[in-house]
Amino acid sequence: MSNTDSATALRTAASRKRWSPTDLGLIAVFAALVAASAIVPGIPVGALGVPITLVTLTVMLSGLVLGAGRGFAAAGLYVLLGFAGLPIFSGGRSGLGILATPSAGYIIAFPLAAAATGYLAGVVIRRTIKFRALWLFGAAMVSSIVIIHGLGVLGMMVNAKLDFTKAFIADLAFVPGDILKNVLAVIIAMAIHKAFPDVLVRRVK
Amino acid sequence: MNSISFSRVSVRVAVDGSDAPKTLLSDISLDLAERRIGVIGANGSGKSTLLRLLNGLVEPSEGSVVVHGDDTVAAVRRVRSNVGFVFTDPLSQLVMPTGREDVELSLRRSIRNSKERAARAEAVLDRFGLLPLADQSIYELSGGERQLLALAAVLAVNPTVLVLDEPSTLLDLRNRELLRRTLAGLDQQVIMSTHDLDLALDMDRVLVVESGRIVFDGGAAEGVARYRALCAAAVDSATEDSAKEDCAAMDKRWLGGVQK
Amino acid sequence: MRGNSFLIANYVRGNSIIHRTPLWLKFLVVAACGTASFLIVDWSVSLVILAIMCGLFLLSGAGLRRLLRAIWIVTPILVVIGLFQWWQLGGPTAARIVLNVLVCVVAASVLTATTPVQELLDGVVAIARPFRRFGADPERFALTIAVMLRSIPFIAGAFSDVRDSARARGLERNPRALVLPVFITTVAYARQTGDALAARGLGEPDDAASGN
Repeated sequence: MSNTDSATALRTAASRKRWSPTDLGLIAVFAALVAASAIVPGIPVGALGVPITLVTLTVMLSGLVLGAGRGFAAAGLYVLLGFAGLPIFSGGRSGLGILATPSAGYIIAFPLAAAATGYLAGVVIRRTIKFRALWLFGAAMVSSIVIIHGLGVLGMMVNAKLDFTKAFIADLAFVPGDILKNVLAVIIAMAIHKAFPDVLVRRVK
Repeated sequence: MNSISFSRVSVRVAVDGSDAPKTLLSDISLDLAERRIGVIGANGSGKSTLLRLLNGLVEPSEGSVVVHGDDTVAAVRRVRSNVGFVFTDPLSQLVMPTGREDVELSLRRSIRNSKERAARAEAVLDRFGLLPLADQSIYELSGGERQLLALAAVLAVNPTVLVLDEPSTLLDLRNRELLRRTLAGLDQQVIMSTHDLDLALDMDRVLVVESGRIVFDGGAAEGVARYRALCAAAVDSATEDSAKEDCAAMDKRWLGGVQK
Repeated sequence: MRGNSFLIANYVRGNSIIHRTPLWLKFLVVAACGTASFLIVDWSVSLVILAIMCGLFLLSGAGLRRLLRAIWIVTPILVVIGLFQWWQLGGPTAARIVLNVLVCVVAASVLTATTPVQELLDGVVAIARPFRRFGADPERFALTIAVMLRSIPFIAGAFSDVRDSARARGLERNPRALVLPVFITTVAYARQTGDALAARGLGEPDDAASGN
C-alpha cells in the first residue's frame, strides 16, 4: 500500500521539472509542519472520535505556499510516513490501521486537497493583483469542501457505517472550524508570499 | 589554475513591487590564492553573497567565478564537491539526528559500501574528537559541538576549499577558540566571513566589503583597522538607527529568529 | 527539548535478536499487521497477535516503560473510538477495531525501536529502487524524509520561542504576532536547509542515474 503511494509521489516528482535541493527542503519542512500541527492535541468532535486539529490549516497552507506539485508532495509525505508507523496522525495515531477508522477519508484527502489548492493558488498569484486574499480564500474553500469534506463524509459512511445524511451532519461539525482555518491559512500565506516573493512563482531576472 | 578567480562579477536580485533590481555586488574582480582569507563587513554589505558565489549557491548576474578551473555555473557539481561550505547555524546544516549518521550521509555519494562508509565516518569523527558524542542527538550537543560536527561532516569528503559563513557568530568564547584552533590546523584553503575581528586577524589576507563593493584588500591588521574606522565613521555620521544597528552587529549578528 | 525528540529518541541501541533481524522482515511484519487489521474478524485473534507483538517489543530489550508510553499516546483516541463502536456495533467489533489499531502501533514501535534512522532510510531507498524506471530517485526521497524528521523538533521549538518573544514584547494577545513569525521563520529555515543540502552536494537530481 504505502509502496505504491510512494511510487506515485515519486513519479509525480519526475514528471515535472526536477526539484532542486531548495524544493526538497520546502517539501520536507512543510511535511514536518503538517506533522507538528497534528501533534498539537486536537478536540474530539461528537461521538465519532474524529478530532479537530490544525492539520487542515497546514495542509491548505502547503498548497497555498508551495503550489500543486510540491504541496501534494508535502502532504503526501506526511500521510505516507504516518502510514509507515510514525505517530503523526491526530491523537498520536499511526499506521495503516487509521484506514479502518472514521478519519480515513480526511487523511486520504489531505494530499489531494493540497494539490487542488496549490493549483488554484498558482493561477491566482499569476493572474491577479487585486483582492488576492479573497481569491486565495475561495481556492482554499472550494478545495476543502469538495475534496476534504467529500472524502471525509465518504470515509465516515464506509468505516463508521453511517448513512449519507448522518455522515453529512457529523461532518458539518467541522465546517465552521474549517472556514476559520482557511481564513488563517490565507493570512499566513499572504505574509509568506510577501516575505518570499519567489517561493511559488519564479520571477524573471 | 590552483586558485579562485572572480572576473567582473555583479549580482542583482529582483525586488517585489519595484522594477529596479537591487544590486548586491557590483563589478568584483579578484584572484584568491592565499591559504587563509577573511571577509569582513557590515550586515547586508554583500559578504554572504560573495561567499555563496564560491560554490554556485548564488549565480552571478554578470561576469563569472572560476574555482580551480571550474566555472561555478557550468560545472556546479564539480565545484560543490571541491568547495565545502559551513553555515552560521549548524542546525540548518545537520540533516541527520545524530552526528555519526550525518557524517555518513556526507559520504553516501562517494562511498557506496556501507561498511567502508561507517569506518571512514568513525575516522573523521575521531579526528575532531567527536567520537564520544557521535551517537547523541544533535539537539543535545552544545553550539560549539554542533558547529564542529558540521565542519567534520563537510570535511569528511575532503574538499580542497573550505568556505565558512560567520561560523563563530553563535558560539561562546571558549568554542570560538576551539573553532579557531581547528581551522588553523586544516590543510584546506579557508575563506571565511566573520564579525569576529580576532578571528579575522589570523588571516593571511582580508577583504572589507561595503555596499556591494570591495573597499579594502590586503593584510589582516590593516584590514581590521580600516573596518573599525569605517564603522566609527558610519555611526558618527548616521542619523538613522539602521546604520547604528549595522555596527552593533559587529559583535552580535542578527539571528533572524532562526536559532533554536 | 520539550519532548521534541520523540521521533528521534525512538531507537534503542541493542543487540537483541530483533535488532539483528533483517529490516525487510521487520517491514514485512509491520505491513502484515496493517493488512491483518482489515482481515481479522475475531477479536481474540487480534488479542493474540497483540500479545505476540508486545512480546517481540520486550524481547528487543527496549523495556516495558517505552511500550506503555507508545500505547499511552493512542489511548485517548482509542477510548473514544472504542466507546462509539461499542454503542454502534457492539462489544466484540469494538474490541477488534481497538485491538487492531494497537497491533499496528506496537508493531511500528518494534520497528522504530530496533532500527536506526539511517537504516530505515536505506530500507526506503531499497523499496523505492524498482520504481527508478518511472523516474523515482530513492536517494533524494530518503533525504527528504530525513530532513522532514529532523525539522519537526525545530518547528516545535520555533512555536515556543515565538510565544516567548511575543510575551516579552507584550504582544501575547495579538494573534498575528503569535502566529506569523513562526511560519516566516519556518520558510526561511526550509530555504536555509535547501541551501545547506545544495552546498553539501546532497539532493541534486542525479543525472547519471536517471539516464535521460
